[in-house]
Amino acid sequence: MRIIVLGAGQVGTTIVEALHDEHDVTVVDMHAERLSTLAHRFDVRVVEGNGTSRRVLQEAGVARADLMIACTSRDEANIVAALFVKKLAPETQTIVRTTDVEYLEIWRERLLEVDFIVSSELETAHAVSHVIGVPAARQTDVFANGQVQIVEFDVEEQADPEVVGPALRDARIPRDAKVAAIIRGGEMRLPRGDERILPGDRIIVIGSPQAAREWSEIMAGRSQRVEDVVIFGAGRIGTAVARLLLDEGLGVRIIEADRERALVVAEELSGARVYNATGIDPEFLDRERIDAAKAAVFAMRDDPKNYYAATLAKLHGVELTIAIVHDSVSMEVFERAGVDIAINPRALTAEEIVRFAHDPRTQQVAMLEGDRYEILDITVRDSSALVNTPFRELPMTGSLIGAIVRNGTAIFPRGDDVLLPGDRAILFAESSRVHDVEKAL
Amino acid sequence: MTAAVASARRRRLGVDLAGSINLIGSLIKYFSVAFALPVVVALWYGETPWPFLVGGAITAVFGGMLELVSVGKERIGAREGYLVVSVLWLLVAAACALPYLIADEPQLSRPIDAYFEAMSGASTTGASVLVDIEGLNHSLAMWRQFTAWLGGLGVIVLAVAVLQRLRIGGRHLLQAEAPGPELDSLAETVRATARQFILLYVALTVAEIAALSIVGWTGLDDRMSFYEAVGHSFSTIATAGFSTQARSIEPFAAATQWVIVVFMILAGTNFALMYRAVLRRTPRPFARDEEFRVYMFFVVAGSAIVCAELLSENIFHGAAAVRHAVFNAVSMMTTTGFASADFNQWTALTALTLVALMFVSASAGSTSGSIKVVRHVVIYKVLRRELEQTLHPELVSPLRINRRVLDERAVRSVIAFALIYVGTFALGTLALLLDVARTDVSVSAFDAIAASASAIGNVGPGFGLAGPMGSFAPYSDFAKGVLVTLMWLGRLEIIPVAVLLTRSYWRN
Repeated sequence: MRIIVLGAGQVGTTIVEALHDEHDVTVVDMHAERLSTLAHRFDVRVVEGNGTSRRVLQEAGVARADLMIACTSRDEANIVAALFVKKLAPETQTIVRTTDVEYLEIWRERLLEVDFIVSSELETAHAVSHVIGVPAARQTDVFANGQVQIVEFDVEEQADPEVVGPALRDARIPRDAKVAAIIRGGEMRLPRGDERILPGDRIIVIGSPQAAREWSEIMAGRSQRVEDVVIFGAGRIGTAVARLLLDEGLGVRIIEADRERALVVAEELSGARVYNATGIDPEFLDRERIDAAKAAVFAMRDDPKNYYAATLAKLHGVELTIAIVHDSVSMEVFERAGVDIAINPRALTAEEIVRFAHDPRTQQVAMLEGDRYEILDITVRDSSALVNTPFRELPMTGSLIGAIVRNGTAIFPRGDDVLLPGDRAILFAESSRVHDVEKAL
Repeated sequence: MTAAVASARRRRLGVDLAGSINLIGSLIKYFSVAFALPVVVALWYGETPWPFLVGGAITAVFGGMLELVSVGKERIGAREGYLVVSVLWLLVAAACALPYLIADEPQLSRPIDAYFEAMSGASTTGASVLVDIEGLNHSLAMWRQFTAWLGGLGVIVLAVAVLQRLRIGGRHLLQAEAPGPELDSLAETVRATARQFILLYVALTVAEIAALSIVGWTGLDDRMSFYEAVGHSFSTIATAGFSTQARSIEPFAAATQWVIVVFMILAGTNFALMYRAVLRRTPRPFARDEEFRVYMFFVVAGSAIVCAELLSENIFHGAAAVRHAVFNAVSMMTTTGFASADFNQWTALTALTLVALMFVSASAGSTSGSIKVVRHVVIYKVLRRELEQTLHPELVSPLRINRRVLDERAVRSVIAFALIYVGTFALGTLALLLDVARTDVSVSAFDAIAASASAIGNVGPGFGLAGPMGSFAPYSDFAKGVLVTLMWLGRLEIIPVAVLLTRSYWRN
């Protein structure tokens, strides 16, 4: 494959490192010294110049490229370059890196003509949430850029009685969500209309992010969660992490040194408690009982500052410290020095981009309950016998399609919807049945 | 030379006086149209229309003269707004008083009494110096009801178009929630908003007239004639509380009283909220609105306290206890001032509850007076935050109403308003008490408190002599003057008048 990479920074370098062996890579950057370092390490072609310029793009060979990855640190430059490439060479696929979640939302609404968008903030937030792990609602996986979520719940007594207890056909289940399975006493039950969700069950729900949130509320019932996470630094990453954790039902405290910024975040995130403090004042940490937090996330701009604050928090009794690092060298320093987890947003972004670049039709597979159940992402073949069959007539074979992704948009099918060739079916299946399911589709 | 001096003086003045007078004059001139309704009533009942024709003529000529002496096309700005609003209410009340004086109504023959009755109407208070209300003829009684309705109309325009722009009491940021997209396009201008709310105001009035008429026609209430229906609807939707009956709503049947309860509650609801609900044909905006929920809470809580007391003291039994508790609690809270029974004769606890409800009052953006629920909500949140910040000094917590963040300046002006309101109320009480000490009118300290609270809150009745079935007639002229001032201040939410008293207002 011929690939053009815009930006030879940390993300670009990581991507080039992963792709240069198998592919024909051209790197574009404005800084000559970065390019020469890169050209020195890897066998790649380099073009100096601005990636938003037509001449530079043509010089990089955009007309013959299969894929263009725009991963400079400037969102707008990345987007402009990608839009430009779509016009210059409509066949070329484009991937854009953004630091702004809003562009991701716009893209999902199909307002940006880009094939794939990766947001560092969101990737980081998901990584943090994964590390912290929410006990009652485990987010098992995310498909189709977060449009489809698979969430696992342990049903407890305090759950909303309008959902837990009555037969499923009478239960008030959120729209755009399907109960994929009910696991009771180690046995899986397929959620037929007369089945009930009962306290003690573990259920698996496939649905939109909104529906997943509603399910969390249903499961939490009226009981308030005591667990909370303290986030140091309310920059873009800190805010994205806070938002995701709040959505997952955790309590969030944010510590931000800049008064204006603290106010903005407090206004934006009504669920979070925001403090205007430096986070390295021992008296403050004691007074606010920082040790009561389940975890602390350090998302300030400076790596050394994060390191210092994390160490201080450890001294004050925080069990789990997660640091966001900006310099790849810091990773090792942090983990060696006692910070529990170090997360590098740029590395995450690069990984995600590489995953897409390798094979855009990757089947993501997640295992549940050890390896007894699997979540599959299968693209429906043209020759599948199930094509054009309404959902209510699909055979019940120990598996259930929770969502389909058609042309990049998630659909949560009802009885009348039909499967079409090329649909990506996101389904839940018993591991022993996976083979049959794959064959059928 | 004189012209030069005058213009030099005018330049030194920070306020465009001529422009203000011009606007006041033209508004007064238009107000004279209002005299047409009582003329029609008078002709229908074979009474003399002259008091209204003459009163209307005087008003029109006076307004026209004001316009003439201040010719010029001065454009007035926000600064002049304070002056115009303050003076306008005084002058409109004067215009309302004219028919009382011209008709030579014996109970209102003294100018202070006529002006008290007129200001009580124009400020939608509903306090009265009349002893024998049934003694008024049809047209004069209807005029009294109508002045209250016009006052309410003015309040609606004042609330949505003027006070908001003048940033009174943080009101500019307290308008329920941001209007939805549908409303936005419709309400691009203040004028359009005012028109919508006037429409709603008229619609509510018509609805109540219809409801009361149905109660009358179906024989549920023999006393409820069309005339009474119109008169009481005028007074309900304006949250004024004037009645054509000396014993207020007591003579009417239970059905009538319940209908009036519903419309009092509606009249105390934020018009923007109601408009949105009507527009979207769903009651959801009500359920979501923080102020409305607290308003409902107080309606229920206030009624419950009064009801429990009525039952335990054996004043009323069963359904009657519920009805009288709800009616009078709602009436005091929405600052209407009707009474379905003489609550003056009830217990100390009910009296305290009812006076407390006068301070709670109803929603912003309605015709009700007093502090208003949303401001209480804001103050509650401020206090809660203060307590929280003593424990967590670094905590940053913006205040929210209906999930929208409140500007800190709006929060400050809400607190300032509440303080100035309570201060003015206290001064009013003091003035009444000093007057009581001077004269031999039998007014207790509690009566003075209630009268002051009732006047500044635009409620109406007080306790003691001035109870719901009584009258302010025995009060001294000085006390009546104090009450007129309080009604005026309360209606304008004090600040426009207070601003006029500052030196910097007049300076350039």
